[in-house]
Formats: sequence, structure tokens, C-alpha cells
Amino acid sequence: MFELNSVLAFIGLLSVIAMVFILLSKDTKIHSFENSINNLQKALDEMDEQAKLVVRTDIELNKAQEELDRKITSLYTLQNLSHFISSTLEEDQIFKKVELSYLAELGFQKALAFLYDQKENRFSLRLSLGYEETEAAGIKAFIDSHKEIYRDLILREKAVSSIASREKPAETKITKEIFGVVSFVFAPILAKEGNSGLLFIGAEKTDTIITEGDEELITILANQLGQALENARLFDKTWQAHQDLEKRVEERTRELSKTLEEVKKLSQRKNDFVSNVSHELRTPLTSIKGYASILLSGKLGALPEEVQKRLDKINKHSDELVQFVNDLLDLSRIQSGKIDLKLAPLNLKSVVDEVADLLAVQFKEKQIEFSSDSPADLPEVIADYSQIKRAFINLVNNSIKYAPQGKIKVSLTRLDKEVRADVQDSGCGIPESAIDKLFTEFYRVDSEMNQEIKGTGLGLAMVKNIVIAHNGKIWVTSKVGLGTTFSFTLPQAY
Amino acid sequence: MLDIGIGLSLEENSFLATEEAIRQAKANLNNSGKIDLCLVFNSCDFSAAGVIKGCSALLRDVPIIGASGPAIISDKRIFKHGITVMLLGFPNGAYCRVAATRDISEKNPFNCGKELAEKMLLGFKNIPRNLGLLFFDQQIENGPNFIAGLQENLGKGLPCIGTSLSNQVDHSHSCLYLNDEALNNSCAGILWGGKTSFGVGIKHGWKPLGKPHTVSSAVGNIINSIDNKPAIEIYENYLGYDAAKLSQDLKKLSVSYPIGVFIPGEKDYLLRSVVSIDRRGALVCQGSIPEGSTVRLMISTPETCLDATTQAIKEAQDNLAKSRLGQSNIKNSRFAIVFSSISRYNLLKRNFKKELNLIKNGFGETPFLGIYTSSELAPLTTSSYHGQIYFHNQDFSVLIIEG
Repeated sequence: MFELNSVLAFIGLLSVIAMVFILLSKDTKIHSFENSINNLQKALDEMDEQAKLVVRTDIELNKAQEELDRKITSLYTLQNLSHFISSTLEEDQIFKKVELSYLAELGFQKALAFLYDQKENRFSLRLSLGYEETEAAGIKAFIDSHKEIYRDLILREKAVSSIASREKPAETKITKEIFGVVSFVFAPILAKEGNSGLLFIGAEKTDTIITEGDEELITILANQLGQALENARLFDKTWQAHQDLEKRVEERTRELSKTLEEVKKLSQRKNDFVSNVSHELRTPLTSIKGYASILLSGKLGALPEEVQKRLDKINKHSDELVQFVNDLLDLSRIQSGKIDLKLAPLNLKSVVDEVADLLAVQFKEKQIEFSSDSPADLPEVIADYSQIKRAFINLVNNSIKYAPQGKIKVSLTRLDKEVRADVQDSGCGIPESAIDKLFTEFYRVDSEMNQEIKGTGLGLAMVKNIVIAHNGKIWVTSKVGLGTTFSFTLPQAY
Repeated sequence: MLDIGIGLSLEENSFLATEEAIRQAKANLNNSGKIDLCLVFNSCDFSAAGVIKGCSALLRDVPIIGASGPAIISDKRIFKHGITVMLLGFPNGAYCRVAATRDISEKNPFNCGKELAEKMLLGFKNIPRNLGLLFFDQQIENGPNFIAGLQENLGKGLPCIGTSLSNQVDHSHSCLYLNDEALNNSCAGILWGGKTSFGVGIKHGWKPLGKPHTVSSAVGNIINSIDNKPAIEIYENYLGYDAAKLSQDLKKLSVSYPIGVFIPGEKDYLLRSVVSIDRRGALVCQGSIPEGSTVRLMISTPETCLDATTQAIKEAQDNLAKSRLGQSNIKNSRFAIVFSSISRYNLLKRNFKKELNLIKNGFGETPFLGIYTSSELAPLTTSSYHGQIYFHNQDFSVLIIEG
């Protein structure tokens, strides 16, 4: 019995010892768990601290991003606005281009613009956005009563904003109250031409913070306005000058037209006079020539030799006079358009050949070497045969007169839509000073040689009028001592 | 096959704009012009009377439903001024019914939800119901109760998607359209049924940050304390801002760093934007937060936001494919409606065009229209719907309907 109790006591003791061991081991585990939990809690707290850092960094990044976004948006807006402002050259329209939507995109809600008239010491309101009419009038009245301050803002040529509130808190406070904003920028509108002014931009929202970037932005906008004003004023000035010039040109044109009309009238009267006189001269000339012919024929009896000589002279001079009168009449007709050109396709080469045949005797008499040159495929021209032949005769005759014992060459050249004729001689040439007047009626070059050569001064004038009547051009090139070339063009037939 | 015609107008005058959009939509319809439903979205600056007048002039006896919001979404652009209209002609066997419940703030939300469900169910005897589409003109105070009332009559198995158009932050004045009426303080809905298939997708793109916290005291949409400390401390601690600075920048901060509510069994967190901070340091949220919830501060980047847009569209397309399993293989036509939170627009800033491009690329040939909203109503994840519908903040949600 005792033994049994002893065994049981021993087992009990062993159990107690085992329990103590188990409890000791559990306690160690609990401690270990507690440590783990503490470590986890610590890690969580550390993670939370890191999260705080992340959030704060994110806030700063967001702010920077926001500022960047705002700047980009502002720059886009400014670019659009600048483009819009510069699209007008009317001073009154410039400020109307600045709209509330642009202002909102720049992050502001209110804007005013004033121009300052230095001569009259007066501000005029040119732009009001975000203000009622009465509010804007009230602000204008305030500016009028503090002109010096706002004039100085223009003269400073630098933006002033609510950022400077620490420097001048009183002034800033007054501005905020009067203009009804919480932050603002004043920027001078500077124009070299005419009046300068002041641009005011304000924000009424408390969360709008004006930065130096905003100051720069508004300064750029004010400069754009100044530039646009300057452009508009310069344009206005140029336009006015242009208008004056146009007016003067108009007046001069009117005067010239009047003079031209008078000249035309005079020319017509001259043509009429020449025509009438020529007709009147031809009748007695015909009689004189008739009577001279009768006397020379000997029908009225034989004439003494001396009388016959004089009568021959009368007859010859009468012929010259008739030719002169005929030339005058023809010239008058061509000039007044009374002559009807019989236009038809014409081969100029054959005309030149005919003229050469006609004047062959004279070439021989004056020992002149005549030649002509034309390409085989020379196109026909549209012209009046008799008038063109006359023109060639006049020009070649002219060369004969001034190039004795020389050379005369007529060349025909195909141009794009015309044919050119050149009558070239190796004569004495024409002084440069005379070239411009050469085709004027009755003009004769004042030279020693011309004293001996007979001429009326009508031939070249007639040639010019014939060519012009054919829608051609005529000109002359000459060098004294080397010769002269008369050139003219006529339109091709096809 | 569904006959779909969409029109868009940017006319200044509301009446003329509505007429122009409807004319365009009519011209884009393929069939004889049988119109069974008109869906209208327009920007808040339109006159509701002008819109109603324009709709009534050209669409007699056609059920009309719609809403105005901060901006509209079209395949052309996102417009802060504009109206878009979708006209639908249903194939045989497809049905819908429009209804509204008014004066929500003056009534019990549960009863309001029940009332709307009852009205929508009229005429739906023996017709299988597929989906509810709801529009609230403003944030509802006790959203979960409203949903409970709605589900009491419609059943928990019926998925619902919807949106709240305006909130107290934006001070925008949205309204709803139901037939020839413009409504405020209301909820308008469409119940779809019959032979139509649906695909819904919703994502936000925000990720949790920092350690989880417990909402120790909350009433409705107000979080009084987190971890037994004034709720404001969560922002003070993480952002390093004092209360004054927080209040000043709250609009931006609550978009960037909303509160994420952990829903047990769900992968995604439910977002809650903070609308204001009261004097006691309590956070007033846009949408309710249950007491005892685990919450975390959320963070995102434009990339995660845009990625969520793509995922939501993909999810809607996958869900649509699942929903039409077993149905006939006839090639049906489909359209999409998108709701994007105005907070996303504000967060994405210049990148908002990227979101539109993602939508356009995601839908391909599928015509769509949409509206910016203040909060969205949908299941938390659409791939595993367990009968729970939540009011979301800052989400992008998509509904594709095929028939």
C-alpha cells in the first residue's frame, strides 16, 4: 500500500515537473509570438511612416505638376490670345479680343485695361471683364482721383502684383478692396506710338495664388497688347498716308486726264486743220500744175528757154508740194483713225522684194549695196499691204538719204507671236539725244548733214503711226558714225 | 435588334439644341423610326424647360429619361456645354419602364426606394427583369436605406447601376428628366427587361496606403472618430497639414486622397470623398460609412486612374459576354452608357482627353454617350455580384446593353 502511494507520489512529481517544463516552453513561445507581433507592429508603423512620406512627396509632386500644367495651359492660352490680338489692326478691336474665357484659362476672373492720354492727363477704360458696368465705373473714378499712382505704374515699365504685399501692405489692401480681388497683377501696356496704358488682372478666388510666373505671363500679355496697339497705330498712319497718296494720285490723274482730253481735242483740231488746209492747197496746186503743164506742152506757143526752165522748176516743186500735202493728209487720217486698214495675211518677204525693185534705180544712183534676209519658214503677218509697203519705202528711203555709197539691209525674223523687221543702214547714225524725238511729226535731227538733205519730218512719224495701227511696236537703235537700225514688229497671221 | 440613334448639339439655345440633337439621333436610326425610349444628357447650363420643350415637340408619346450634369461625354469630345440624345427602338421581347420618386429629402429613404421600385414594376408582370438604371439629381442622405427599399420590391438579385449628378462641393444644379417633366430632389429610373443582355463595369484606380484604421464612431456619411481620435487626424498625420490648411485645400485633397472603406470579401475598396470638415474634426463624406469599418487613406496617379477606365470597360464587355451565354447567336446591336466622376476630370486635368480616347478605343464601333457625375451607384465588383449595391465616389462606370 505504502509502495503504491510512493509510486503515485513519484508519478505526480514527474507530472508536475513535466507541466512546469511545458509551461516554461509555452511561455517562451508566447514571448516569441509577442516579439513577432511587436516586430510586425513596428514594421507596420514604419510602413505607415513611409506612407506619410509618400503622401507628402505626392502632394509636392502634384503641386509641381499642377504649376507646370497651369504654366503650359497659360502659355497655350497666351499664344492663342497673342495670335488673336495680332489678327486685328483696329485699335478699338484689340481689347475686344481679350475674352473672359481666355482669362479663365489663365486662372483669373477679372481684368481691366486703361489707356493714359498724357496730353489731357486722362485715363480711358478700354477693357472690363468680370465687372458690372457700375463696378468698372467706380474703379475708373478711383483711378481718376489717384492718377499719379497709376501713371507711375505705367512709367515704372514693370509689373506690380499682390506678391509685393509685404513691401506695401496698405496699398495692396486698398487695391484688393477697390478692385474686388484677393490677388492681382498690374502690368504696363507700353506702345512707342501714341498712348500707353495699364493692364489689371485679378483673381477673386482665395485658392488662386499669384506667382512670379503669373507676373511674367501678364507682362507678356501687356507687351502683346502694347505691340498690337503700336501695329494698329502704325498701320493707321500708313493707311492714312496711303489714302492721302491715293487722293493725290487721283487728283493728278484727273488733271492729267483733263489735259489729255484737251491735247486730244487740240490734236483733233490740228488734224482737222491740216486736213482742211491740205484739201484747200491741193485744188490751187492742181491748177498751178495744170497750167504749168499746158505752158510746157507748147500748145500756147513756144517758150523761151529761160521760161521753160522756170516752168520745169514750178512743175517739180508743185509735185513735191502735192506729195507733201498727200503725206500730211495720210498722216492725219491714220492718226484720227479715219483710214480703214485692209488687214489680210501678208508675206513680208515679197513686200521687201517689191520695195527693193521699186528703189533699185536709187540704189544704183547712190551706189548703195542693198540686201535682204529672211528665214524660209517666215510666217505671214496680219497687215494692210499698201500701208506696210509704204512703211518699208519710207524707212528704206530714209536710209538711202543718210547712207550714200553704203549698205542697207532688211532682215525679217520670226518671233514667238510676231515677225520683226529690221532696216539697217551703214549711214552716219543718229545722236542719242535725238532718238526719243525721232518719230515726232516735223522733227528733223539738227545736223550739218540734214541741212543738205531734203525732208519734211513726216516720214518716220507716218511709219510709227502705221505700225501702231497694226498693233505693232517700233523702235530705233543707232550709233553715230556706224549706222542706224529701225525695227518694228507685226502680229503673225496664225 | 436594337435600333440606336445618337445626336449631339452645342447650340446656345436649349430648345434649339435639343431639337437639333433629336433630329440628328432620328437621322441615325436605321429602321422605320419606331422609338421606344429617349435618353438625354446635357450640361447644367442648359435650361431644363427648353430641353423638355424640345423633347416634347419632336418626341410625342416616347418615354423620356435623362439628367443634366457638369459635362457630357460624347465620341467627339467632352463638352461643358452641350446636349446628347440617344433614341432607342427595341426588338421584339425587349422592354423597359421609366418612373421617378420625388421629394426624396422629405421622405423616408427606404419608402422612396420602395415607391420607385413599385412604379417601375408596373406593367412588368411575367417579364423577366434584367437591370435597373437610376439617376439622382443630388446626393441622397441615407443611400443604403434607399437601396434597401428598392431591393425590397425588386429583389436583391437584380443588379442596379446609377449615378448622383451633383453635390454640395461643386454647387452645380443638376436636374432629371422624366417624360415631360424636369425634376429636382428626385430619383428617376429605368427598369430593363426581356430579351436584352447587359454588361456592367466599375473601377476607380485608387490604391490603399498606410496601415488600416478603424472607424470608431460614424453616423451616416459623417465619420466622427477613427481609432478613437478625431477623424481629421488621419489627414493631419498623413498629409502633415493643420485643420485650417486642410479645410482650405479640401476640395483638391479629397479628390487626390479619398478614404477607402474595406468591404470584407471584396478586393476593391469603396471610395469616399470628404466634402467638409466640421468644427469637432469630423469628416463629412460623400456617401455613408458604417461604424466599425476598416478604412485606409487612398492614393492614385493619372496612370492608375486611366488603367481603371480600361479595366472597367473590359469588365463590362466580359460581363456582357457572360450574360448572353445560352442566348441565340443572332448578331445583336449594342450601345454603352458611361458615368465618370467629375473628380476624375479634375484629377486627370489635361489627361482627361486620354480617358476619352481610352473609352473610344475600348468601345470600338459601339456607340456610346455619357455624363460626368458626383457619385456612382453600382455593385462593388461587377464580376461577383452578391446583391450589395453601393454609392461610389470617383469611379468610372460602364453599362453596355445589347439586344
